[in-house]
Amino acid sequence: MKTSAGAKMRSSMKYLERRVMHAVLLLVGASVLSFLFSSLAPGSFFDEMKMNPQISPETVTALRSQYGLDQPLPVKYVRWVKSVLRGEWGYSFAYNQPVRSLLVVRARNTLFLTALAMALAWLIAVPVGVWVASRRGRWEDQLTSASTSLLLSVPELVLALVLLYLVIRTHALPVGGMVSSGFDHLDSWAQMKDLAAHLIVPVTTLVLASLPILIRHVRASMIEVLQAPFIQAARGHGISRSRLLFHYALPAAANPLISLFGLSIAGLLSGSLLVEVITGWPGLGPLLLEACFSRDIYVVIGVVMASTLFMIFGSLTADVMLVAADPRVRTDHA
Amino acid sequence: MITGKKTSKRKLIAAAIFLLALHLAILLAGFVAPYRPAEQNRDSPYVPPTRIHFVDARGHLHLRPFIYQSVARPDSLYEYEEARDQEYPIRFFVAASEYKIAGCFLSHTHLFGVDAPAQIFLAGTDNYGRDQFTRILYGGQISLAAGLLATAISLLLGLCVGCISGFYAGWIDESAMRVAELFLVLPWLYVLLAVRAFLPLHISPAQTFLLLVAVIGTIGWARPARLVRGIVLSARSRKYVTASRGFGASDAHILRRHILPHTYGTLLTQAALLVPQYVIAEVTLSFFGLGLSEPMPSWGNLLANLQQYNVLVSYWWMFAPALALVLVSLGYLTVANAFHQRLQSGSI
Amino acid sequence: MGTEAAARLALQPALMRARGLSKRYLQRTSFSRRSFAIEALMDVNFEIAPGCLTALVGQSGSGKSTLASCLAMMEKPDCGEIWFEGNEISHWNRRKLAPLRPKIQMVFQNSAGALNPRFSAAQIIEEPLQIQHREIRQNLRARACQLMEEVGLSADWANRSPLELSGGQRQRLAIARAIALKPSLLILDESLSGLDLSTQAQILNLLLDLKAAHPLTCLLISHDLSLVGQIADFIAVMHRGRIVECGSAPQVLGSPQHPQTCKLLASVQVLETAFRTARAGGRS
Repeated sequence: MKTSAGAKMRSSMKYLERRVMHAVLLLVGASVLSFLFSSLAPGSFFDEMKMNPQISPETVTALRSQYGLDQPLPVKYVRWVKSVLRGEWGYSFAYNQPVRSLLVVRARNTLFLTALAMALAWLIAVPVGVWVASRRGRWEDQLTSASTSLLLSVPELVLALVLLYLVIRTHALPVGGMVSSGFDHLDSWAQMKDLAAHLIVPVTTLVLASLPILIRHVRASMIEVLQAPFIQAARGHGISRSRLLFHYALPAAANPLISLFGLSIAGLLSGSLLVEVITGWPGLGPLLLEACFSRDIYVVIGVVMASTLFMIFGSLTADVMLVAADPRVRTDHA
Repeated sequence: MITGKKTSKRKLIAAAIFLLALHLAILLAGFVAPYRPAEQNRDSPYVPPTRIHFVDARGHLHLRPFIYQSVARPDSLYEYEEARDQEYPIRFFVAASEYKIAGCFLSHTHLFGVDAPAQIFLAGTDNYGRDQFTRILYGGQISLAAGLLATAISLLLGLCVGCISGFYAGWIDESAMRVAELFLVLPWLYVLLAVRAFLPLHISPAQTFLLLVAVIGTIGWARPARLVRGIVLSARSRKYVTASRGFGASDAHILRRHILPHTYGTLLTQAALLVPQYVIAEVTLSFFGLGLSEPMPSWGNLLANLQQYNVLVSYWWMFAPALALVLVSLGYLTVANAFHQRLQSGSI
Repeated sequence: MGTEAAARLALQPALMRARGLSKRYLQRTSFSRRSFAIEALMDVNFEIAPGCLTALVGQSGSGKSTLASCLAMMEKPDCGEIWFEGNEISHWNRRKLAPLRPKIQMVFQNSAGALNPRFSAAQIIEEPLQIQHREIRQNLRARACQLMEEVGLSADWANRSPLELSGGQRQRLAIARAIALKPSLLILDESLSGLDLSTQAQILNLLLDLKAAHPLTCLLISHDLSLVGQIADFIAVMHRGRIVECGSAPQVLGSPQHPQTCKLLASVQVLETAFRTARAGGRS
């Protein structure tokens, strides 16, 4: 059944359209869910103030109504949505500014960290996975299997702490935060080196945490593909081993891996929260933790929505890649 | 592959025995631990782990292991050395401080101990001089119990929703799966923190524990629900279910006898995967201060000490709870792997 | 069976009667708005005479299984009437149909799928007895073994899983389960397909014995006319959702009217010898 290139394009666009609509619905659902959870909170930001004898209860009540905290839930939600559409994303009581300005900087930092870690993790996992798949059952495979199992059992929390310990004991790298003090006085090359030095511990932790699962999946995918008849045929044609693995087998194994890419973003985000807090990387993680303690509700909701946005964006990217890579997806869902 | 099956069975048994021993030791923390978790020794803060010797200073071999008392160095703070004048043999089944087994039976017997004034700190002490080994065991009770209970909640919720969703299909299925997708799309740690934050912060330890368990367990229902739903969907289209209906079997009968047995294998594997995840969730929350706080020990707040720079750098034995966590993870993941392999080969 | 006996039987009130049955299935290609309908049954009039073995034959897709499902109350027709024991049951809900269910039982084509592999053979037979509370608990096993013997399975196999049985033995087990509740009507939907010739003959043999031993009416559905023609009293031929020919077996086999019937007859298998051998020989 031959369809023209135009028809293929149209069907792909329709599929993507559907996925985008789906993503938007998910975002709306997530925001509603977050608001529902917030209704469980018996306290609010101003509770601390209530304890302060210098501030009268009337002031507290006035502040609460000024910020709309005493309104019923649906009203609060509508006001928040309006605030989002205005570009403010709610208001932070602790920082006394719209949530957006807080989010943007932190989100950028988290995105930078997670994107780098993701790229590195996949860059390592794919060749390693392909290699052990081709050497299935031999000592390299078993050794890698054992190490990934061990690595999988070490929680990220522990990984981060151990790495931090090593780095501090050996005085190898500067620790804490994103940049050292006096950053602005350095020239751009030194600035980059400083940034890189601060990145090493968080990125390494995230990469080590993601590697085991990625390697396992790549290996499993490759093994399945390597048993396919068309690989045997290609081998019979005398195609070299590396070409066989990377040009023939890997593209066929790409499908489940692309889906895995979308899913692994979730784990990476949760992991990055931990790592950021422990290493002091100024991302969404520490912001969320702070806001949790100070009951800064709109910041909490903003951060949860931001991270959900990242997740959905990641899985949309995976969908796009899937459509580009696998022609079956296009025609099936026409 | 026969060898594959055998090794996986052996691994399963080994891991299961190991886990059982660990859980037993933690359950009987009162017996295994030489001291009580709240016992402070203000004059012995940050003592490194006591070394166990078999050969004394004069070169004699003792059959019974012994220790030397750690005394503070006169010149520096928090530095200790062994007082080699007196050997304190390690005695087993000693009578020491009182504790309760399972909350009802009183006992005085501890697995091991040394005579006063020496103290045996297998994992060192913290800044209040509390024995870390004891605190790790007692903390394990909290962390493991949280993990196990939360897993039970998640699996129960997931089983119910998955069964109803898969069995009745239609709009119930559609809506349930959409909600599940919503829960799956939110990054779990962010949601966990947010939900925990929205709930009262300053409550009693017992309430905190129950709250943690409820929150962790309830958030995680989506994945088991999806898995169970898939199984139920495929099982319910089998002809023997149709035949059962032909005899007038009720929905409950069909679910109980024909459909649920298919889910057991998956539920077991999910349980083995979820327990370590949920233990880590509790540890993370307590680490951040959103879970159990002092003085109740939990692996999380024990590790929280490491957030202080000087502790992280100088007192390596404070990492011990991390080792316990890794061992638990390793055990459960091996079991999960073995279950998964057996499930795929159709043994369960 | 002689035409006289057949004629006598035809005068008795039908056990089950269908009038003007129609059913269509809507099929939708994934994600498109278009859907097209498959007319499975089109205005079908059908009767099942009591105490006889009626055969329903036709090619795949002719609607036989759909008709069987409607008669077995597993599916509801879009329009038409079904009369059973004097009641019009096509629109009854689950609760009303419940007491009727034990009276109409079905044996499926794929015996491996129709028997739960986790159950033992005896448990499979015990299940309907348990659900319908026909026996007290102590007698369940004994009754199950009795039924196994009746269909030609050794009672020693009570604890065997259906996976350990051969295809023919599994169908016997399925039949044992179906007759456990002493149904008035037994529907066998392509139950003989996939079995080798001699096993098919043995099962047919078994059906005849059961029919003789109990007041059992059978509806045998198959695509193989010559197979079922051996033991059927009445034959109905279906083609594309309609019944194109209907009558007593000698009539239909001897002087087929519709081209479809002729086509089906033309695909003859040499069954008679196998049948006779099985009849003379014995059971598995």
